[in-house]
Amino acid sequence: MSSKDYILNALKSSGIAPQAMPVFNVAPRIDDLVGQFETNLNTVAGTLHREGGLTALQLKVDELISQGLQIISMVDAIKGNREVTATAHELRDIDYAVIPGDLGVAENGAIWVNNKNLGHRVTPFICENLFLVIEADTIVANMHQAASKVTLEKGEFGTFIAGPSKTADIEQALVVGAHGACSLNVYLA
Amino acid sequence: MRIALFIPCLVNQMMPDVGIATLELLEKLGHQVILPKGQTCCGQPMTNSGCFNEAKKTTLKLLNAFKGVECDAIVCPAASCLVAAKENFHEFDSSPEAQAVIDKLYELTEFLHDVSPIPAFSKPFPHKISLQMSCHGIRMLDLATPSEQMGPRNNKVEAVLAQIPQIEIVYPDRRDECCGFGGTFALDEGAVSGKMGKDKAQAHAATGAAYAVGFDPSCLLHIDGMIKRQKLPIQIRHIAQVLNAAL
Amino acid sequence: MSNKNSAVHAKKAEIFCQDEARVDWHSKALWTVREKRDRAAGSLPEWEQLRQIGSEMKLHTLTNLGQYLEEFEKNCLENGIQVHWAKDGAEHNRIVHKILADKKVKKLVKSKSMLTEECHLNPYLEGHGIEVIDTDLGERIIQLAGQPPSHIVLPAIHLKRGEVGDLFHEKIGTEAGASDPFYLTRAARAHLREQFLSADAAMTGVNMAVADKGAVVVCTNEGNADMGANLPKLQLHSMGIDKVVPDIDSASTLLRMLARNATGQPVTTYSSFYRGPQEGGEMHVIIVDNGRTDMLKDKILAESLKCIRCGGCLNTCPVYRRSGGHSYNYTIPGPIGIAVGAQSDDTNSIPWACTLCGSCSYVCPTKVPLDKIIHHHRRLKAEAGKLPYGKSSYMPLVGNFMASETMLNCSMSVARTALKVLPGSLLKPFSGAWGKYRELPTAPNSSFEAWFKKNRG
Repeated sequence: MSSKDYILNALKSSGIAPQAMPVFNVAPRIDDLVGQFETNLNTVAGTLHREGGLTALQLKVDELISQGLQIISMVDAIKGNREVTATAHELRDIDYAVIPGDLGVAENGAIWVNNKNLGHRVTPFICENLFLVIEADTIVANMHQAASKVTLEKGEFGTFIAGPSKTADIEQALVVGAHGACSLNVYLA
Repeated sequence: MRIALFIPCLVNQMMPDVGIATLELLEKLGHQVILPKGQTCCGQPMTNSGCFNEAKKTTLKLLNAFKGVECDAIVCPAASCLVAAKENFHEFDSSPEAQAVIDKLYELTEFLHDVSPIPAFSKPFPHKISLQMSCHGIRMLDLATPSEQMGPRNNKVEAVLAQIPQIEIVYPDRRDECCGFGGTFALDEGAVSGKMGKDKAQAHAATGAAYAVGFDPSCLLHIDGMIKRQKLPIQIRHIAQVLNAAL
Repeated sequence: MSNKNSAVHAKKAEIFCQDEARVDWHSKALWTVREKRDRAAGSLPEWEQLRQIGSEMKLHTLTNLGQYLEEFEKNCLENGIQVHWAKDGAEHNRIVHKILADKKVKKLVKSKSMLTEECHLNPYLEGHGIEVIDTDLGERIIQLAGQPPSHIVLPAIHLKRGEVGDLFHEKIGTEAGASDPFYLTRAARAHLREQFLSADAAMTGVNMAVADKGAVVVCTNEGNADMGANLPKLQLHSMGIDKVVPDIDSASTLLRMLARNATGQPVTTYSSFYRGPQEGGEMHVIIVDNGRTDMLKDKILAESLKCIRCGGCLNTCPVYRRSGGHSYNYTIPGPIGIAVGAQSDDTNSIPWACTLCGSCSYVCPTKVPLDKIIHHHRRLKAEAGKLPYGKSSYMPLVGNFMASETMLNCSMSVARTALKVLPGSLLKPFSGAWGKYRELPTAPNSSFEAWFKKNRG
């Protein structure tokens, strides 16, 4: 008997009584979604740039380029100074990545990105710093609402990114910047 | 009402003042109070350790002390014993008579809150008291909303005490963290139990209260041992004693 | 015999408690995490509703687990994900090794997975010549220190920054005496970055396996799981059968509670959904039983499988905070550790590392009735004749004693007199563990029953 069959067979006898799937009807908090998003993004050590949009972001990117930093952009309207590399490993020296997000989640400051917009999947993690761009009207109240809207087709990869990478593994002291990006700036397009 | 007292072994043997205060305050409220004979132990020391066979004899003896006793309610001044009695009676006897006993069981605070509220107090209790929110009462009965739970908050213990003139009610830090008694836990895991008790006693003393007041005698006995070992300037009182002093 | 005695929880806890300042520090650190949890949970008016939904969803899934696992496998296969089934830890390790050996993997980077700890994967792979690098900072710290994790979410919570500093100085060349967490974390970042970039394969755990999508969800704050899985072209994900959830709605509900209950954050930095391998890459999922189907057969123990491994029960447990995660004789410590590990605890002591206070059950986001489960383990041990601490000898005696009014009244009367008359110094040695830590009680003059007879009889 294969292990799969062994397991499936063993699962036929369960000690617990049958239970119906619950109804997911949680009331969302919909007041001032952008405000909620900003508050929670700050909580997770990210920063929101409400004004200026893509123009402000391009100005910032140009400034960074002039300092000799390496910027890759996956956002059509933003020009960096690096192209998508042949291998993921070659992204190791990227200082800033600019990536488009599909939606924002007000309750926790998270942004969903899908691999279609990443080039290599590792892009938002391997860069030293991260810019994410979303449209204000894609901000939903909570994860229940996000669940129905995220794009994750067969074979794809997607992730909710809530702030820069962080850890508190040493004596519970919060350190921003672990293995992923060390900073996150979100621009509203 | 005609009330049968359930006096657990610990109260009977080591803290009779708690029983006396309970009886006196119920009488002052106009109730007729009886003490059915043959009360032994609820079986908790055994059943807590999974030893159900060993608990059967004493549990059934206790149950039988109440079966057929004419009364409107059975009141117990010890939350953990009350909870254990309910569970253990049910475990060993599923007869209607047993269920009738279980249905009449009340912990003292819940009885005074839900069934027989105190209309007025005649004397003040001009002291600061720190409430000992013991685990059985908070998490297995409904005496107050546990700190882990979110949403609307309910507190029968404070409600019962708050009407006493000049009383000041405060809570220790980590208000409903376990005091560390845990029955045989105090003997099996002496070091952790001792540390938990020490932390709890110190937390009560740190409020500046004159008394640590609770509804569970076993917790109070354990904390009292700690208070004395640490020489802390606070004393324990059972809620029955505080209420009785003000009636 | 002495080996087993020193391994009992009470003995290890006693040693932990000898350094009182350290116990205070450990207990406070974890209580602070509990407080953060309370604030985060309290910020959602629907928190208790979410717990109920989470509990019901998990129960529903568990009662239809076979069907959901098959659906999950089918959808994984359609996504180009290879699926393996393992009866136990040993088979899991063999499967993982074969996948790695076939691709001549020399170095594996691994993000946090309590399941792989449970299976003792690291030593197995290392014994077969594969270098395993744990990439979660806390896990890397204990890997370098040669210790097991002491907490399922905060593996190095038992270590002070100076100790981590000394360890890093010795193992990865940080400055002697440097203990600033920022400095140490950045040093670890640089050190582990090289590992990600030179790894041949990556392995992660699974927070949730979404059946209707054939996708695994991996949550981290550090980004180590995603740095690993998205660099080398071979990625493996190990999961217990209990990790499956029906759909993304279910996963979202759990994601709303997981980080809030674990650390007080609204969500982990990364909640990644892997629904297929990278271009030109391979993705494997290993589904593991290792005793879970057995637990499912017991009505009470089955509810342990609702656990989402948030660690909230550890943070609140007054016993865990004062005895530490290395005292439980099992991979996972604390209340959930007792729940899932008690049957395999050969010291038979961990079910008694608990006062049955119930705080864990109230903190649990999926309403696992931990105190009921722990009590049930005590009953199972008693029925199997596996009681610790001499209970099998004295419990029958106590049972008889308590049932006899005569014995109770006589002996307690003697005890009261002794307490009154004899000096404390004489009594303390006889009062065992009670007298070691507390003063003995003041003896009353008589029992309540005697008073009642005199005054009301």
